[in-house]
Amino acid sequence: MIRLNNISKWFSAGGTRNFVLRSVDLQVKPGEFISIMGPSGSGKSTLLNIIGMLDDANEGEYYFNEHAVHTLKEKHRTELYKKYIGFVFQAYHLIDELTVYENIETPLIYQDVKGAERKAMVADMLDRFQIVGKKDLFPAQLSGGQQQLVGIARALIAKPKLILADEPTGNLSSKQGEEIMEIFKKLHKEEGVTIIQVTHSEKNAAYGNRIINLLDGRIHAA
Amino acid sequence: MFRNYLKTALRNLLRYKGFSAINIISLTIGIIGCLTIGLFVWDELQYDKFIPSGERVFRFYTTRTVNGQAGSTASVPPVFATYTQQHYPEVESTLRILMYSGKMLLEANGIKAYEDKGLIADSTFFRVFPLKFLKGDPLTALQGPRSVVITETMAEKYFGQADPADKTIKINKTDYIVKGVLADVPEHFHLEVNYILPLSGAGMDKERMSSWQWQQFFTYIKVKEGTDIGQLQAKFQEAVRKEADPRNRQAGFTYVPFLQSLHDVHLESADFIYDNAKRGNADYVKGLTIIAVFVLLIAGFNFVNLATARSFRRAKEIGVRKVIGADRKQLVLQFIGETVLLSFISILIAVAALFLLLPYLNSFTGKAIEFNPFTNPVLAVILLGITVTIGILAGIYPALMMSQFQPIKVLKGLKSSGRGQASVLRQGLVVVQFSLSALLIVCATVVYRQINFLHQKDLGFNKDQIVYFYAQGEIEKDPEAFKTELLRSPGVVSATAGYGLPGDVLAGDGIKVPGKDGEKEYPANLFIVDFDYIKTLGLSVIAGRDFSKAYATDAEKAFVINETAVKELGFGTPEQAIGRELAWSKWVPDSVNPVKRGNVIGVVKDFHYKSLHEKVSTAVLEIYPQVVAKVAIKVRTDDLANTIAFIRSAWNNFSPDYPFSYSFLDENFDKMYKSEDKLNTLLLIFTCMAIFIGCMGLFGLAAFSAEQRVKEIGIRKVLGASVISIVAMLSKSFLRLVLIASLVAFPIAWWIMNRWLEDFPYRVLISWWVFAISGLAALAIALLTISFQTIKAALSNPVTNLRTE
Repeated sequence: MIRLNNISKWFSAGGTRNFVLRSVDLQVKPGEFISIMGPSGSGKSTLLNIIGMLDDANEGEYYFNEHAVHTLKEKHRTELYKKYIGFVFQAYHLIDELTVYENIETPLIYQDVKGAERKAMVADMLDRFQIVGKKDLFPAQLSGGQQQLVGIARALIAKPKLILADEPTGNLSSKQGEEIMEIFKKLHKEEGVTIIQVTHSEKNAAYGNRIINLLDGRIHAA
Repeated sequence: MFRNYLKTALRNLLRYKGFSAINIISLTIGIIGCLTIGLFVWDELQYDKFIPSGERVFRFYTTRTVNGQAGSTASVPPVFATYTQQHYPEVESTLRILMYSGKMLLEANGIKAYEDKGLIADSTFFRVFPLKFLKGDPLTALQGPRSVVITETMAEKYFGQADPADKTIKINKTDYIVKGVLADVPEHFHLEVNYILPLSGAGMDKERMSSWQWQQFFTYIKVKEGTDIGQLQAKFQEAVRKEADPRNRQAGFTYVPFLQSLHDVHLESADFIYDNAKRGNADYVKGLTIIAVFVLLIAGFNFVNLATARSFRRAKEIGVRKVIGADRKQLVLQFIGETVLLSFISILIAVAALFLLLPYLNSFTGKAIEFNPFTNPVLAVILLGITVTIGILAGIYPALMMSQFQPIKVLKGLKSSGRGQASVLRQGLVVVQFSLSALLIVCATVVYRQINFLHQKDLGFNKDQIVYFYAQGEIEKDPEAFKTELLRSPGVVSATAGYGLPGDVLAGDGIKVPGKDGEKEYPANLFIVDFDYIKTLGLSVIAGRDFSKAYATDAEKAFVINETAVKELGFGTPEQAIGRELAWSKWVPDSVNPVKRGNVIGVVKDFHYKSLHEKVSTAVLEIYPQVVAKVAIKVRTDDLANTIAFIRSAWNNFSPDYPFSYSFLDENFDKMYKSEDKLNTLLLIFTCMAIFIGCMGLFGLAAFSAEQRVKEIGIRKVLGASVISIVAMLSKSFLRLVLIASLVAFPIAWWIMNRWLEDFPYRVLISWWVFAISGLAALAIALLTISFQTIKAALSNPVTNLRTE
């Protein structure tokens, strides 16, 4: 599904190059559950962003389902990732002016899904995560765990083939974190969603079936 | 999808209450300004549009150059009409209206009153202006010499509910028969009409009616379809050169005739001397339109500035939306939707405000403008269009800019530093805003000074405490006896009777100077005075003497002229003018001595008998008892009511058949500057609006700037900076912009004001301190506005600011 060839990314600071990623090669098959681990500054989030098409590499090729992402313009990339990829962030990043219902609904609006269909899909998602009673609340009124639930619901609503999660449990208590990871596990097992997560926690990494270690921008033994 | 956008937009408005309020208030004020001017301008453009076949109606005017000064007038010789009717088949009808601006006494059924707005016109009046007739036949109503057509208001006043057709009404003591009743003429007709009398009955001398020199008629022509008016005008100019020039040159001038379209009469005749039309001023209309656009622009720029500044607060939201799938187009649509919503709210408030302001607007402009989007669907559609246009125009740049944000950068919290392209634009907009404001401040100041000057300039005579009225009945026959009676009252200082008070519309006349090569004729204004005129009006004699009963020849052979006459007639100095000979064609035909000859016995200092819009011209004062038009009385201020009562009873003794009606001379004069006074007020209002809006924008920007630099301020304070140095640091950049704005505005303002002042022969100078004060004012206002934010920021606790790291 995903093929990264020789991906490198750097920042130029007064003449020298500071490499964030060096010659990264990676292949991901559909249905895998991958954890990317490594110390701070090792380039984990950058790698995730490049996979998610939110950022581009300075060098190398990226094929997503045989689409040559590195050659696509922003508009086409947007089309791609909005169709296939869902993001979950450490800081949840919900839209504060919208209710839970509206937050979950918004990706569907951007994909021109019709009103009645939207309603059905959102209702289904609310039900699945058991947050129907909270649908008219605003993010400021929810706990961290609940907000992350909404974030995940939002990421899932368009039925993406790939979920990218950047330290999804980083701001949560251990119990809340466990709940979230269980959801990921279920998604992976029951629905075959490919999941790539960036995490510090060994415990979280254990949920996946493959671990990739990054150090100073390079992949170490997988 | 729209519901989602609408919800977000509304909630955004509520979330950033400060910015939203500033935007809505400034946009609302800007829109109110624009709508008001829009209504005014639209109304000004409506004049005479309702007249059927109006596009085929034209009016004559002539332009003459005398001593290098060109002047136009709408009053032309009576022969224009007859000549064109005879010689040009493309002319369908012609119409002359006598230039006459007095009141006539109307009497019927026991009701008597002086009525103005009477026209003395050819019987073709209704062929050229097919106004609505309620009774009678428009084509024949003015044919008999004693017919009169009255409006329905006049009919009701004098005849009540009865049918006035064929009834008699006395006008200036002569019987007339009502042959037609007009519906009250619409506001947008350029002529004011209460009644119309036939020209054929006015007893005009037949020979005079074929004069090419006697300019006292407003003349209109109606041409056939498809006429080339340019050609017609050229032909007629050629005819005038042949027929009129030789005689005109002898009298020292030439004129060129022109035709103006009926639809141009209202706006394009502003500087005509002698015009009876209701006139607006195309220059003022244009100027006001520009000012209205300025104000709206300033409000719009506010919007763009505040939106781009605020965009950094919304960066995170934009990033998130992009991540969850929004493409640029969708984001741009969302942001423009927000602007349109804001614009919509502003328009709603503006419309409501305008509704409330309409009566004041109407009374200020003297119009009857209607503004009701509920009853006028076209208006509603226009307003909607304006809303959307403003929303899109104001919102497009911020929308495009915001939709560009890279999600990763903003989600990581890497704000753009506020420098670069966006910052330059913001600064540019502030400069433009304050330039416009500075421009308005300078213009308002100069206009104010000029208006003040007009009201206070020494007119060369004393216009205060002078009561005047028309001489009627016995008073007209024996004014001296009346004056003697008046002087019995202690409240009466002096009285004079004659023709020509300052402020009157004086017909152009001429004066001849005998010389060795024959007589040379000059245009002049003639004043028929008596022995008390100069004294009563407080003119000052600077050479020679006043008229005096001690000299027997003063009644027959004496002339007093003004300083300008001395120059124009080539007499040298006022002293040298004394004794020079003058000759004048008498107004009342005198077969024995048609020309009055005499000498100059005195010279008076120039007095402004016309409005200060016009330069004083040659004035000749003489005694000529055959003409008595008005009486002017200088009264004391104390016990004025008693004095008036005394005058009234004196009047009733002499002329009981005529009702007594009087006016004060100074009120008459102040009315001359009515349109300038209004301009003054308007300019003041709009300048305040523009400054207010600009300041609101500055306020918002200062808030944003302080917010952006919160960390920097905190660090500086920790390092020991004083509050003042922080305030100075934050203010510096803004004040620099205001300074640049002023420097940009001043040359433009100077140029505009110079051109406006050029139209006034008597004017103030634009001194340098006007600019200095305007610049200081702009700086002070800006400083005050941003001081709130900068002081607040400077006083804030650095610890709290730095903690949010």
